[in-house]
Amino acid sequence: MLEQLLIFTRGGLILWTCKELGNALKGSPIDTLIRFCLLEERSGSNSYNYDAPGAAYTLKWTFHNELGLVFVAVYQRILRLLYVDELLSMVKREFCEIYDPKRIDYNDFDETFRQLRKEAEARTEDLKKSKQVGRPVNDSKKQGHVKKGGADGGNKKKSEAKGGSDDDDDNRAGHNKLENGHSNGHHIETDGSRGLAIGNGKENASVNVGAFDVSKLQKLKNKGGKKNDTAVSDSKGAKADPKKKATKKNRVWDDSPSQSKLDFTDPVENGNENIDVVAANQGESMMDKEEVVSSDSEDDEDEVGKGSAPNSKKKGWFSSMFQSIAGKANLEKSDLEPALKALKDRLMTKNVAEEIAEKLCESVAASLEGKKLASFTRISSTVQAAMEDALVRILTPKRSIDILRDVHAAKEQRKPYVVVFVGVNGVGKSTNLAKVAYWLQQHNVSVMMAACDTFRSGAVEQLRTHARRLQIPIFEKGYEKDPAMVAKEAIQEATRNGSDVVLVDTAGRMQDNEPLMRALSKLVNLNNPDLVLFVGEALVGNDAVDQLSKFNQKLADLSTSPNPRLIDGILLTKFDTIDDKVGAALSMVYISGAPVMFVGCGQSYTDLKKLNVKTIVKTLLK
Amino acid sequence: MEGIEQWKSEAEQRIQQGIEYVLQIPPVQLYSAAAVLVFTTLLFILVRLLRRPKSNTIVLSGLSGSGKTILFYQLRDGSSHQGTVTSMEPNEGTFILHSEAGKERKVKPVHIVDVPGHPRLLPKLDEFLPEAAGIVFVVDALEFLPNLRGVSEYLYDILTKASVVKKKVPVLICCNKTEKVTAHTKDFICKQLEKEIDKLRTSRSAVSDADVANDHTLGTPGKTFSFSQCTNKVSVGEASGLTSKIADVEQFIRDNVKP
Repeated sequence: MLEQLLIFTRGGLILWTCKELGNALKGSPIDTLIRFCLLEERSGSNSYNYDAPGAAYTLKWTFHNELGLVFVAVYQRILRLLYVDELLSMVKREFCEIYDPKRIDYNDFDETFRQLRKEAEARTEDLKKSKQVGRPVNDSKKQGHVKKGGADGGNKKKSEAKGGSDDDDDNRAGHNKLENGHSNGHHIETDGSRGLAIGNGKENASVNVGAFDVSKLQKLKNKGGKKNDTAVSDSKGAKADPKKKATKKNRVWDDSPSQSKLDFTDPVENGNENIDVVAANQGESMMDKEEVVSSDSEDDEDEVGKGSAPNSKKKGWFSSMFQSIAGKANLEKSDLEPALKALKDRLMTKNVAEEIAEKLCESVAASLEGKKLASFTRISSTVQAAMEDALVRILTPKRSIDILRDVHAAKEQRKPYVVVFVGVNGVGKSTNLAKVAYWLQQHNVSVMMAACDTFRSGAVEQLRTHARRLQIPIFEKGYEKDPAMVAKEAIQEATRNGSDVVLVDTAGRMQDNEPLMRALSKLVNLNNPDLVLFVGEALVGNDAVDQLSKFNQKLADLSTSPNPRLIDGILLTKFDTIDDKVGAALSMVYISGAPVMFVGCGQSYTDLKKLNVKTIVKTLLK
Repeated sequence: MEGIEQWKSEAEQRIQQGIEYVLQIPPVQLYSAAAVLVFTTLLFILVRLLRRPKSNTIVLSGLSGSGKTILFYQLRDGSSHQGTVTSMEPNEGTFILHSEAGKERKVKPVHIVDVPGHPRLLPKLDEFLPEAAGIVFVVDALEFLPNLRGVSEYLYDILTKASVVKKKVPVLICCNKTEKVTAHTKDFICKQLEKEIDKLRTSRSAVSDADVANDHTLGTPGKTFSFSQCTNKVSVGEASGLTSKIADVEQFIRDNVKP
């Protein structure tokens, strides 16, 4: 049974709720839906799962873009209602006929709704009867829908993981086109909903598709049996196998005693005689410089026109001109497709991951369908404007990224502000750590470095050199030590000598490497840093999606606490090497929801700047 | 064809006559006439430019969930209808306040804009601020302390925007949800906000001279910040959206939108 069906405007006023289904909704599913799905440009997905103490809902929605209305249906997740989509579209049709912007209450709609519901239920009853016959057919359907339904929105609420495994219930209950691929990203806040074992397990197929939705973030925040994720990740690709070549004596990341001495650092006496090149003052870090924004000409409009013109094939020049002047009645999906496809291709040439571009286009399509084209505008320009809006919205940070303010706040509490730099191999963690240290130093913040990369030869020396040049203390314990313990001791040392910030450098690791990720998770959980910064290079393409999602997943899975720490921010490096292929920024922000806090744009200390949202959006859409 | 020819010749004749007539007028008269014409045009343009029409826009801003949309509908219709959800788009309307609807004297309609508070929709605020005659900053008095940092940052951002400082736009800090028992008082809220903004001042101004985030700094350096140090008038009021106690807000609107 439907729990509730609401109609509200995009401005937030509720126009109508069904009075028959008078159940009060537990928690605030609608607000969560808006905040974590619709505003995150995930409105292209089919449904959204919400968990609250004592209830687990699934929400489905549809828009009427012309009038600016949203129709949302809420129902219990264990009941798989087949008629919800149909009901929503029927309700949309009927309501729009009686809608009037001046009117506020629509009590007469109750009757209409009752009838519609009966109709929809009756129709699905018939459909179910016919479906009973054709059940085997649904198996193959499921695969298809699993691939499609990978991208569901999810909520970011912290909760425990559901114990249910993913595939059983799908096999048990009837296959439901609507339900496939929706069952991810649920959170439960208390143990109460454990009982809903029949409920959807996580649809790990989403990992298969490689689409990671932010929903999983919070969902994965709790332990409780997410092990099936790792099983699925096999299909993703070969795991890094540290025990490959027999020729080289590999460093093994477990507790077995190490073979031979691997620490080739020079004895301390020689160290001090090295030439100390002190990086006195290289000038102002680019973080503090204002970004010079060059105003681009508006020739992108014409380019778009030329691009979509060949697509409009049979339409003919005259009819499209006429349409653009007179304004078309309503935008259909088929009209939007060519423009959207062109936009998607353009985004992909700018190095945006393919699935991100796909999801974005779906979301924009959902927000434009049914809208009236204003006169004197082409479809392509409307689509472009909507996409630009969406991009600005995604790249605008959700929370304040004022690190200095956080540092000051931590200073007042007399604890050091701990930042951990994580990432795959070779992205520039150590270099950018030094840049951040330089910038903080320029603002009179006392910094301390912690060399927790105890694996790579030369890592400690590298940091030591940076520390010497910047004249900041460094805490190191050499090689082959447990990074988590080194970090812990570093933080204690910082508390003792009153450093404001501790920057922890970790070893690079591939996201598939289980033991390494476990070690990282241990470091993060043991030390509870204030900021977990994921360092990603701007050159990365589709792998960005995989890296970020796996990192988040592993951090969540392998943590022992109920509220695991996930990636809080992104540091984008090697930004000077890409000219205008800035898509990696978009992919990373979309997939993880974390804001880009710094951008590394060179190899000297001053090459660190903030992300300028408008410039990036302009470059992406050029 | 002949008609056109005829008209052409007639037109030429007329033009000839006109030119002859003009040449006959003594030059002084001609020049003075031209001068008067030019002068009046200039005056007209000047007056138009300098007379800045007083805008009648009031902007409702604040964090998400503080009660702006409810306030908007209270001002417009006098009731909060069936409730609201998080706004995705701004609510705009030009209307006469509901409480003044019955009055006989002529009241100018007010243009009220309710800007969504969600951080991702922050750029929308910049669209409406330049034309604002007054800003109502709505604060959730119930959930004040957990959101203190976010509230103070938002308020700081508004108070340091170039358009707000230059035009000295008055700001009303409206403490909403006061009908609840555990809601804080407006004095408490005011003091806490002043303290937080003081802290923000030091950390934000420490960023650099070329501060890209904020256009101006607030208050006088060296002294603890208080709202009286702002160049624009900042006042504090109370309201309760759900129970229609919006007298402070209405008073503020009436003060700033001259009828």
